[in-house]
Amino acid sequence: MKAQRLHALAEAYGADLRRWPASERAFAESLIAADPSLKAVLDEAAALDALLDAAPAPAPSAVLTARVLAAAPKARSRRFHLDRLAFYLGAGWAAAACAGVVAGVGLTSELTANERADAVLYQSSLTGVDDTEVLR
Amino acid sequence: MVAIIDPDEDLVRRVGQGDPAAAQALVARKLPRILALAQRMLGDAVEAEDVAQETMFKAWKQAPRWTPGQARFDTWLHRVALNLCYDRLRRRREIPTQTPPDRPDEGPAPDRGLMAAETGLRVGQALSRLPDRQREAVVLCHYQELSNIEAAALMEISVEALESLLSRGRRALRQSLSDLAPRAPAAALRGEAR
Repeated sequence: MKAQRLHALAEAYGADLRRWPASERAFAESLIAADPSLKAVLDEAAALDALLDAAPAPAPSAVLTARVLAAAPKARSRRFHLDRLAFYLGAGWAAAACAGVVAGVGLTSELTANERADAVLYQSSLTGVDDTEVLR
Repeated sequence: MVAIIDPDEDLVRRVGQGDPAAAQALVARKLPRILALAQRMLGDAVEAEDVAQETMFKAWKQAPRWTPGQARFDTWLHRVALNLCYDRLRRRREIPTQTPPDRPDEGPAPDRGLMAAETGLRVGQALSRLPDRQREAVVLCHYQELSNIEAAALMEISVEALESLLSRGRRALRQSLSDLAPRAPAAALRGEAR
């Protein structure tokens, strides 16, 4: 059973124990130490590992490296930060001014409406006066 | 929750602040790794360059808002690159090409396997013939040297499923390359490759 597990692990991860699950490395080493004939399992996996390692990894070209580096984030200048601060301050003042105008217009129309209502009430109390004269 | 130790954390932070030296160091550390991943997944040098470039561009965008401790930057980078590779593999399946991909001659040849360059070519071709998921498992565990837990998490499968994919992938590779093995002593090949 233990030898079977060793086979299965070598079949999956190859001969290099550094690629094995950390929890299984000591198990493999102790098993091979107890039965050196099991090392053949790792040797077989090592042959395939060697073939796989013969496939070279491509190196990035200078052009690709330059293109990638050209797009890297740039440090923002102090001037940029000051400009941005000025923009936000300006935008804040403009928003406050707009809010003041809107509030003023709203308040004025409400006060005017009250005045008009009072005028109508006053007019209705004046029985002896002709409506058209009051409103004129 | 277990804190994630990320060896790239400081570098990514500095990249996010616009430090050109950090950007250069990150490119030196990651670009070859991502290019190799894409090349082995796609088997096409031009497409691999495109994927590597796009991945690094996404890294530049991510760096200023990278939150340390949630994931390793290298794992995130692999996830991005793999997604881009899978987009391209899907597109290939949707738009079948007129000319079939280059297939190696299966018959024996007297000089095949004598040179490491040729062996490398054969390995690349054998890798490209694997089913996508088996190839991904082999590439992540063997070439990218990710741990089984990292690879399984990236592939969104269990460790057992990963082991199964690895076993089937390596078995198929062994079969495809069986004519090379006796003529290529392991130590010699390893020496030439490194």
